[in-house]
Amino acid sequence: MTMKIHDNGTDRDMTEQEKIVYLAWQKQKQEHIKAQEKIALDKASARQAVLDRLGITADEVALLLN
Amino acid sequence: MANTQTTVPLFVANTVLTAAQQNISAGTGVPVFATTVTRDAAFGGSNKALAEGQLAYIEASNVVQYYDGAAWATVGPLSSGLVCVKAQTAFSVALTLNVDNVFTSSYSNYKILLSLTAGSGSITMRLRASSTDTTTNYKTRTIYGTSSTLFAADATGTDDFYLFDYDAQGGGAEISVIAPQQAQGTTISTVTFGSSGANGYIYNVAGYQNSSTQFDGFSLFAATTGITGTYAVYGYSKTV
Repeated sequence: MTMKIHDNGTDRDMTEQEKIVYLAWQKQKQEHIKAQEKIALDKASARQAVLDRLGITADEVALLLN
Repeated sequence: MANTQTTVPLFVANTVLTAAQQNISAGTGVPVFATTVTRDAAFGGSNKALAEGQLAYIEASNVVQYYDGAAWATVGPLSSGLVCVKAQTAFSVALTLNVDNVFTSSYSNYKILLSLTAGSGSITMRLRASSTDTTTNYKTRTIYGTSSTLFAADATGTDDFYLFDYDAQGGGAEISVIAPQQAQGTTISTVTFGSSGANGYIYNVAGYQNSSTQFDGFSLFAATTGITGTYAVYGYSKTV
């Protein structure tokens, strides 16, 4: 796979070392994104569970709180 | 004798060139002086008088001046508050951008303008010194959202500044960089239009890199696919 780097005004293919560094960074970044998405999903699930127990919708909660 | 040139003569064959005409010609060019002191000395003397519109170039300050009838005033170059230190540069399908030697002691604070037309994923930024990324001690505080919903996020102790997400719907970033070349922490702030899915997002990021490293450049990273666009870097003048 061609992987490009813009190096001080020049677009070129990454060297093998640059590929290793970039792929490590990308892997770590995507894991972080997945972890953040899981946190958001867990929060949404917990919120929905509370709403289900109360038997009201999110819109109805907003009406009550506003 | 005033140096005022009130005519623009056209000489033809056999026309007599008088001493007065020659003196006017010699006196109305742009004479070059080392300083304003040597300028005043050269234009002084009992048989000379400054004329309104007289020009002089001063080597010490690299400016062209004109005499307005009462005093010398500067024609140019005028000082600018914002000076382009890296001309607009295009890049194509790049996963990483390295931009070195843009932060110098000439300026304390900088503005980076980034315009994107293609690519996708999270865009992050690192500070660099001597072509090497610094990968520790970043923190960012982010407010982002669509037209109807706002979110907040923060990250401390990361290996870069998270700037925004992008997915080829068009967008760009205005990034202010405070004191990157000074032996103190570096602060950034951004206003960005990015996107995620079908929505356009605004990102407002404040970031801090906590070290005394004197950075001379920066790098950008695209987390998913290569990005295409342009960037330019400007330095804020430290003097009026």
